[in-house]
Amino acid sequence: MKTFVIKGRCLASPPPSDWREQLARMLGAKPRRIGVWAELVMYGALRCMADAGEAKLPQDAQIWLSSRRGTYAATAVVLEQLQDGLPMPLSFLQTQPSQVLALLAARMEWSGNACFVADSELPALLRLAAAQAGQGGALIGWVDEMDGGSTNWLRLQPAAIAENGFVPASPEEVFSPDAVRLQLAATELRVQRARQASLGEKWAE
Amino acid sequence: MKPVYLAGRGLACALGLDLNDSLRALQQGNAVASTSSVPGALGGQFPYFAIPFSQRDWDARARDLVQRVAAEAGAQRTRTGTLFIATSSFDIGAVGEGAAQMDYRAFSDKIVAWLEWSGPVYVINTACTSSLNALIAAHALLGAGEECDALVLGVELDNRLTLGGFAALQLLSHSTSKPFGLHRDGLVLGEAVAALRLSTREAAPWKIAGGANVVDGNQPTGASVPAVVNMYQRALSASGLTAAAVDLVKVQASGSPGNDAVEAQGLRAAFDRVPPLVSLKASMGHTMGASGAAEIALLSACLEQAVWPACAGEVDAELGVELAAAAPESVRHVIATILGFGGSHAAAVLERT
Repeated sequence: MKTFVIKGRCLASPPPSDWREQLARMLGAKPRRIGVWAELVMYGALRCMADAGEAKLPQDAQIWLSSRRGTYAATAVVLEQLQDGLPMPLSFLQTQPSQVLALLAARMEWSGNACFVADSELPALLRLAAAQAGQGGALIGWVDEMDGGSTNWLRLQPAAIAENGFVPASPEEVFSPDAVRLQLAATELRVQRARQASLGEKWAE
Repeated sequence: MKPVYLAGRGLACALGLDLNDSLRALQQGNAVASTSSVPGALGGQFPYFAIPFSQRDWDARARDLVQRVAAEAGAQRTRTGTLFIATSSFDIGAVGEGAAQMDYRAFSDKIVAWLEWSGPVYVINTACTSSLNALIAAHALLGAGEECDALVLGVELDNRLTLGGFAALQLLSHSTSKPFGLHRDGLVLGEAVAALRLSTREAAPWKIAGGANVVDGNQPTGASVPAVVNMYQRALSASGLTAAAVDLVKVQASGSPGNDAVEAQGLRAAFDRVPPLVSLKASMGHTMGASGAAEIALLSACLEQAVWPACAGEVDAELGVELAAAAPESVRHVIATILGFGGSHAAAVLERT
């Protein structure tokens, strides 16, 4: 059982109407030819990092990214292009979900373990991340383009195991601003809320 | 960390439909590539290492190959463990036939049904490094005691998307695969279905000592020297080894003019004395997301059976590295690497028990 501090979060389902403008401001320029899904990935990840008060990921941190449909829209475009000839090279690159991991790495001046896992729920993805996470923790995201788009992220840092004050939580509740610590016990998610955490710290004193 | 053993393995590739067939074919020389054609001005005929196995449609062929390879690896003993499916193309071949929708869950459900799997399932796609990253993730999970058994299943089968995409990027050779070759002119792609069965309770001749994946954003479509060095350092550190302890490196060496040079430079920087190197690309092609599992399955069998892949053509002396003409006398520690799209550099360390 591992315990994480939730350092930052981004819950954008759907993202705000001006998310593209916000992304351009964060990047300093409009992203070019990376595809809508990758733009959503960048937007949510950078918002989450800003929420955590970090611009760069520690070198031993990891990135785990999941999606129900990933790059399907880009893939459909390339399959269409293949009817008549070869696809555009950049269009083909957009079909590869892992391309955006390199973009994130470059943006965060980071190099390390990053992985795309198709259609993985929060407890399952957390299980993989927890098995490999070092002191730098993990940046974990779920991003989809359909139904108005969604880009939900957590920035997690390993914490000393705290036994008190954790309650079972749904994946949605994990993203609540008052959830400050997260535990995965077997396949059950548990969170410690801000009020419970401060009580626990008082007891510890 | 608990020791994680390579308890079973299976492989279908251009060399044969199982490991024994593949070893026999390797003893007689490399597989002969067939050709595959892609349309358009930059298209044409490209050599392609296809699995010699015909079926009426993509799904039926994939099902039969997955079942054969999983059975060869002993997957029936592990069905409640964790299944890691690794691919860069999912079932896009079936989508192209109009027999499937683009749906990750439907793809994994299909494989789960084929294998009658009842344990947790992950589908990992980090392009060419997919199955090596699946192996690293599975090793971490088993080593941490979270699970006792896992199956890493690499699946990369014929489809127009991959071939067309690589042709569009002008990465394909029109002739043959020439790892680190003087006249290397690109990749030759291939198909593979490969399975690595991992266990913490079933001792075996090989165990997974550790591994590392390093994504570097500086070269999103290729390898970078600092990332190659970082990958080796992290993989060795995770395995508790020094560079001097490495007896053999299975390199990527896909025959790419640029990437092979970067990889060679990285090897020379990471090792004071570059260990003996081996490449399997000329034997079975670059099998994309399945390549990590496929090449580990084949190489570990080669080392056990004293079979060695033939070197293809003249090595480029300017690279400062060369492929071993024969198996090293004693091999205890092997590093298997795959470098891929998305700036992904992955390495797993195997230890002979």
